[in-house]
Amino acid sequence: MQFGIFAVLIGLVLWSVQATVIDDTDWQRIGTLADIGESVAHFIGVDFALIPSLLGPTIETFMIACIGTLLGLVFCVPMIWFGALNVTPFKPVTYPIARVAMTLSRSIHEIVWALIFVSAVGLGAFAGILAIAARSLGFIAKMSAEAIENIDHKPVEAIRAMGGSNLQVMIYAILPQVLPVILGIVIFEWEINIRRSSVLGLVGAGGLGLVFFRQMNTFNYPGVTTVIIAILMLILIGEVVSHYSRKALI
Amino acid sequence: MTMPEKARPDTLRGDDVHREWSRFKYPQTLINYGVLFGILLFFSYSIHYLNIPLERILGMFGRLGDVLANRYYPPDLDYIADTDYLDSVIETVQMAYLGTLFGLTLAIFLGWFAAYNVSPSRKYIYPVARLVAMGCRSVHEMIWAILFVTILGFGLLPGVLALTMFSIGFAGKLFAEEVESIDMGEVEAIRAMGGTNLQVFVFGVFPQVRVAFTGIAIYTWDVAFRAATVVGFVGAGGMGWYLKRNIMQIETERTAAILLSIVVLVVISELISAWARSRVSKAQ
Amino acid sequence: MAILEVENLRAKYSARGPEILKGISFEVEDNDFFAIIGPSGAGKSTLIRCINRLIEPTSGDIRLDGTDMLSLDTRALRRKRRHIGMIFQEFNLINRMSVMDNVLSGRLGYVGAIRSIFRVFTNRDIQRALELLERVGLQDHIDKRADQLSGGQRQRVGIARALMQEPNLLLLDEPTSALDPKISREVMELIRTMANELKVPVLCNIHDVQLAKEFCNKIIGLQDGYKMFDGPTETLDQSSLEEIYAMEVL
Repeated sequence: MQFGIFAVLIGLVLWSVQATVIDDTDWQRIGTLADIGESVAHFIGVDFALIPSLLGPTIETFMIACIGTLLGLVFCVPMIWFGALNVTPFKPVTYPIARVAMTLSRSIHEIVWALIFVSAVGLGAFAGILAIAARSLGFIAKMSAEAIENIDHKPVEAIRAMGGSNLQVMIYAILPQVLPVILGIVIFEWEINIRRSSVLGLVGAGGLGLVFFRQMNTFNYPGVTTVIIAILMLILIGEVVSHYSRKALI
Repeated sequence: MTMPEKARPDTLRGDDVHREWSRFKYPQTLINYGVLFGILLFFSYSIHYLNIPLERILGMFGRLGDVLANRYYPPDLDYIADTDYLDSVIETVQMAYLGTLFGLTLAIFLGWFAAYNVSPSRKYIYPVARLVAMGCRSVHEMIWAILFVTILGFGLLPGVLALTMFSIGFAGKLFAEEVESIDMGEVEAIRAMGGTNLQVFVFGVFPQVRVAFTGIAIYTWDVAFRAATVVGFVGAGGMGWYLKRNIMQIETERTAAILLSIVVLVVISELISAWARSRVSKAQ
Repeated sequence: MAILEVENLRAKYSARGPEILKGISFEVEDNDFFAIIGPSGAGKSTLIRCINRLIEPTSGDIRLDGTDMLSLDTRALRRKRRHIGMIFQEFNLINRMSVMDNVLSGRLGYVGAIRSIFRVFTNRDIQRALELLERVGLQDHIDKRADQLSGGQRQRVGIARALMQEPNLLLLDEPTSALDPKISREVMELIRTMANELKVPVLCNIHDVQLAKEFCNKIIGLQDGYKMFDGPTETLDQSSLEEIYAMEVL
């Protein structure tokens, strides 16, 4: 059985390589290794003149990530409620709705979401924010619903035993367990969203993506590299903030 | 019928001592509220800076619904039933498959080198490996795709390479984290027997992480496949190319059909992944 | 007059499941420290939880302070529960909240929605909480998170919390099973002292027969849902014990 699977996998590899790398590639155009080296060399270098005009788009990318994540959280509250087996109001209906929404949100690539929203609200950061929100909604809802499903029932029992109302059970027994976890999830997703926001500009949804696009179109390869460096710096900031704030949450 | 509740004499030693206590601790509470205020300030400033029409957000649902109902429906299913399109779908799968495979293979090494506890050289190899993983991870797969398309031209090869780079970063970090959480006892045993670094990895580390790695591999495939469906947008082969063409030509019904096919494919891929995951955990 | 009268109590976990309690009757007096002993699975925990209806009995009578517990509607039950303090085997504290907040939560049955959300308690409540914390020996741990305490300390928080309710009855569900022997003894000492001082009767489900004999004045023994023994501690002799524990010979 093991061997059979192995053989199938290898077969798929060979078939795939045949179809993609060998058949599909225009080997003539690529040329020799030296030609490739030359192409790569174009990217080496930094376009210093570009740097001042990068500040605005960089801040814009960062803001898109922040507001997009927040919006995603706001919109996914009903999905979290419906998507947790222990609190969903009407299991046969609301739970599947939530699962479908979560799956849709996560299956559609952020670029595709951006395209949808650009056609709905026009070019610019607003479309980008909505795209990020739509993309993050699924992940945040899924993980948060799981957190709610995994709560420890002992505090719930204690608050009920002392005559607590449903609201009090929620505030004292459930929320203190669940909120830190959700916050951690949001920060995690926020960090990933910085990466996503950086390319939304490619389809007109704001941020550094547009600058990237322009630099590519004018064949200013060192400029492209500079934009990539700006993106990397943003991501680094995100990673540092995410690491320390999630540590503080434990 | 309930009787009035009997009042309990509260005979705790009411010793008239006034004890001090405040919920608000200085300086911690001040810092907490300060940070919260700063974040709120940032958000309001951002909304202002980006000219976000907050009042439009709710109306936007109506507008979106309108757009979806009129222009995107019904999806042009005949268009995607076309052989050329279906070929591109198969190519997308192949591209994703190869990219993930190559990427995961390299990521295994990255998982070894970038793990602090078993890295062959903590001074040189470890930081470099960490940097490589971070670099691959930070660059968005679309950017990788564009870069490779620039160097190699249009086609599936740039897509494969872009997904490879993505997988190296994605899986590499997860692999490394997994390796860092193993039980070092087995590793020490192999080292004590005089094993080389490679032997230590193969016999001491790998058996412990094998199952987790499989799970991570499946997860990587999930994410990579989603990316594969759209890298064609920038010329890297696959169904994404059709997406771009139809959007440029504002063929909204065809676009809807393509989006539908993407969602269906991703869901199928997820179902297969879920099945594979359950097989793996059963086999444990 | 008996503060708690239980008559012919029957209970099941699920409608089609086996009967856990098969007609238990006993009375608890105003100044009792009453123990329920028996082998695992005898129904001790179920019995305790039937008193405050955390588990709903299938039939029988429970009268607390003259009130028929089983006829109370949800609201009336909540109001009645605030006069029943419960101490749990695994403490059932709100782990991420401070010791002080955990103790204050004992007043939740008396506090309205707005005050619960903002955690505003009266000065009298705060003073009482501080005094209780001093009495259980935790005055140096007031602002620590509950999960930073040891097992014995956590149970003392549980004791303070239960006493904050100004209860008419204390229910203990194996309060010492999760603690080591020395700490167990200290905790039982503390409960007995506080219960005597505040004149609160105690109904205690306990696994350790030695502790039951040492601290309790009356004992009932359960086996397989039936009452095997009912009487003052002094009359619990070896043969009664063997009857209760059937297979187990202590």
